Amino acid sequence: MIDQNSPPILEVNNLKMHFPVKEGILLRASKFNKAVDGVSFHIQPGETLGLVGESGCGKSTLGRCIARLYEPTEGNIKFEGNNISQLKGRALLPYRKHIQMIFQDPMESLNSRHTVGDILEEPFIIQNIGDRASRQKRVMELLEIVGLPARSISRYPFEFSGGQRQRICVARAIALNPKLIICDEPVSALDVSIQSQILNLLNDLQKEFNLSYLFIAHDLAVVKHISDRIAIMYLGKIVESGLGQEIYHNPQHPYTKSLMSAIPVPDPHHKSERQLITGDVPSAINPPAGCAFHPRCPVVQDKCKQKAPTLREVPSKEGDAHEASCLLLED
Amino acid sequence: MSEILLEVNNLITEFETDEGRVRAISDVSLSVNEGETLGIVGESGCGKSVTALSIMRLLPQPMGQIVGGRIAFGGQDLTQVPITKMQKIRGDQISMVFQEPMTALNPVHTIGKQLTEVLLLHKDISAQEAIRQSVAILDRVGIPSPDIRMTEYPHQLSGGMRQRVVIAIALACKPKLLIADEPTTALDVTIQAQILELIKELQAEMGMSVLLITHDLGVIAETCEQVVVMYAGKVAEKGSVFDIFDRPSHPYTQGLLASIPTLETEPKSKLNTIEGMVPSLMDLPEGCRFENRCPHRKDDCTNSPPPIEKVSESHEVSCFRWNEL
Repeated sequence: MIDQNSPPILEVNNLKMHFPVKEGILLRASKFNKAVDGVSFHIQPGETLGLVGESGCGKSTLGRCIARLYEPTEGNIKFEGNNISQLKGRALLPYRKHIQMIFQDPMESLNSRHTVGDILEEPFIIQNIGDRASRQKRVMELLEIVGLPARSISRYPFEFSGGQRQRICVARAIALNPKLIICDEPVSALDVSIQSQILNLLNDLQKEFNLSYLFIAHDLAVVKHISDRIAIMYLGKIVESGLGQEIYHNPQHPYTKSLMSAIPVPDPHHKSERQLITGDVPSAINPPAGCAFHPRCPVVQDKCKQKAPTLREVPSKEGDAHEASCLLLED
Repeated sequence: MSEILLEVNNLITEFETDEGRVRAISDVSLSVNEGETLGIVGESGCGKSVTALSIMRLLPQPMGQIVGGRIAFGGQDLTQVPITKMQKIRGDQISMVFQEPMTALNPVHTIGKQLTEVLLLHKDISAQEAIRQSVAILDRVGIPSPDIRMTEYPHQLSGGMRQRVVIAIALACKPKLLIADEPTTALDVTIQAQILELIKELQAEMGMSVLLITHDLGVIAETCEQVVVMYAGKVAEKGSVFDIFDRPSHPYTQGLLASIPTLETEPKSKLNTIEGMVPSLMDLPEGCRFENRCPHRKDDCTNSPPPIEKVSESHEVSCFRWNEL
């Protein structure tokens, strides 16, 4: 259950991650890739926030900043009220226990030379928890929770299928009883029948352990299925956010509308009224002036080329929080 | 009823591996009508790409071999034509678009060189004419300032633009059949919508047939007239797109359709799953290949492979129990 009254488990304020682009003989950083450029949101205990966007929109960078795999350029990341955005080294260790991550490709995120038992025991060794016997016991428990046979403990990652490997990654992520798990495209490398198994597993675990998820994916249908709230990102900024149902029934930003209409519907009777957007996502090194979406926007006006919109409250059907950033919604 | 352009009958393709011979596809039969789109859908390893590579005779050599069946195209059996003749057919009458546009293009040649190459190879035209036609087709597939792009290299283009170039190369000679193997899987949804729209437009314009391979049932529903569902190297079910989506008759097709989350499904509801895994091609069961994952399995499903039965004139299924389900 989502606890709306308690303070948020995660609060992100005006987060920026600018990567220097080194050029020339002296490799001076003359430009910056503004992968994440002023993002704010919060996640309640037990809640899933879905983060959607196309490749290059900065959604994975944002996830990695929160897991503190990157040190953000600017802004605050408050985990249970404590700002962790600038912590370094050992000071981060206690937070690592509470914030875990699941990656897209389970083959690349598991060490192929370690057995599953070693992989699942490692978090306990790093955090210095328990002795060997108690750790082994916990590893067996974890395997059972994610639905893998006990004999997996002495096997290597290559002996498993893609879906089973993702289960190992899930087991590793929940090993230390975290409070927040950042799932970065956890099902996009899997076949549909396996994808639904992992989505069900994530939902079950959330109920059982009251986990919060930041669920990052490009597939809006998957995100809508697993999320309570959804945020849509474009070129380093959140352009719309709100409850999943609200975004689906009442999308406001032209980008959200085109993104939703672009999803192929598995029903041959469905007549798509497609709002095709042309062109590609522009580079985050040289973002367009004004609204970053204006070169692709189907309803662009002159003012969009000069003035950048800000994220602001828009009227919603059920009266829930719904924000969008588009100049056309501001009048 | 339109004419049949490509007819594959009981195709069997095997691979020589370190662990022995593997039969990647067994008894695959399908046909593509003129001007229509046939979709092959299935999960990784089901043999959909091997079917396409067999038709193109592009199986990795010397491991991959067609050991049985016929591929009838334009009055000849493609499994029998000599390779030099096949090279004349490829790119001219049958073209292919691959999943990953970066690996399908040669990184050290300009777009112009790769595009004129196919024209010069198949058509008796001058270099100037080839360049003129190349610019025209780049313009047609929606590439801005095509004459400048001709001199650029693949890495200078975005993923969507690269896939447009690959399509331009495939369509340069106006083929009768385009085989597209997961043409949009590596692309974002907005770009995917653009590319599928482009293929549809060009198909209508040129009257060509398309064999579209994908794992995405949404893409199938939107683009195909006919559908083949493959599982573990065999055809599980085939029929018109309405047959498959309105009356899925194989338990595998039913399971697949029920397991995809759509924008309409209730958030956080339990999704249908197909338990278990696809059997290894090294160790296939005697009977039905879906038997170990099938919710409707009975004892006789394990004894012999199920026959192919007709659900309707246009709809075939390979399951013992489809009638009872």
